[in-house]
Amino acid sequence: MASVNAQIKRGSAELAVLTLLAEHPLHGYEIAKQIEAQTGGVLRFDMASLYPMLHRLERKSWVKAEWQTLPNGRRRRCYRLTPAGRKQIAPLRAEWRAFFQALQSVTGFQNA
Amino acid sequence: MPDWKQIVRKNLRVLGVCSPEFTEELAGHLEDSYEALLCEGLPAEVAFHRTMSQIEGRCRIWLVLRFLQEDLMTGFIRMTGFIRKVALPGLLTSAASGFVSWALTVAHIWPRIILMPNSQFQMFLALSPWWWSLLPICGALGALLSQRNGGSRLQRIAASIAPGAIIGAILLLEFPVVFIFDRLVNHYWWDSAQWERLGLYLLSFAVIPAAFLLLGAGVAEVGTKTFGRPAQ
Repeated sequence: MASVNAQIKRGSAELAVLTLLAEHPLHGYEIAKQIEAQTGGVLRFDMASLYPMLHRLERKSWVKAEWQTLPNGRRRRCYRLTPAGRKQIAPLRAEWRAFFQALQSVTGFQNA
Repeated sequence: MPDWKQIVRKNLRVLGVCSPEFTEELAGHLEDSYEALLCEGLPAEVAFHRTMSQIEGRCRIWLVLRFLQEDLMTGFIRMTGFIRKVALPGLLTSAASGFVSWALTVAHIWPRIILMPNSQFQMFLALSPWWWSLLPICGALGALLSQRNGGSRLQRIAASIAPGAIIGAILLLEFPVVFIFDRLVNHYWWDSAQWERLGLYLLSFAVIPAAFLLLGAGVAEVGTKTFGRPAQ
């Protein structure tokens, strides 16, 4: 599996998390696992990158965290997308689209 | 089942990154990781060591550094926010009120001094109706600038009364020094007249000016609500 540069990973992480949370609220572990599964392991979050980012998104009021008790009785901090966070998805997508188009025009790289 | 909360507390106690809420959140993550590894069929010991690797060694350092970086960024953002929303508008208000006071002095418009009867000290109340009447403009200026920079109502009030607050703070800081000096060097015991003097000075130079500055901020608030916010 080709490894992805850390800077690119970091930049794309916010978009990936916001897009995932747009579907339904998730807690940290679920976010990490779902991104890993959906990207075939190319994007993999460790705790050091996931939680500071989630807390940063929370401070920006793009996500809202609240404690929920799961059916097994355990408490997990679930992150929910806020209306402000939802508004960020389209500009972030546009930014990444522009980035990939620029990269494509230079390298001749084609989307799969 | 390992006590993940205790493990997180022990491993990440450095630098105060571990609030009880954060400890519980990370412990939950480790617990889920551990159980997922057990479900994959790994022996408990191997699953434990793999889970622990997420908060040990290099990963632990990264985790602490990332949170430190976030804390520093948040602190920096808060600081720049305070400068833009309170400190700079407050400085402008202070400069404007100082300039008005200086201009009145140049024009030979002096405050009216009312001497208070006291045998020991020269006590007075300084009445500056001209200065006071111009202070609302300065207060409005500070409040509007703070509002323009996104200041909240409290920040706008703080920016508008900055001159009064600064003078009040200086007086309140100066008096304990004088009090200690009188007591230890001059062996002088303060009586109620000293406190009256502090009260009069605070009234003349801090409280009344702050009230007029606040009046200006209030007028600016009502004005922007009535006629629309200034351009952002």
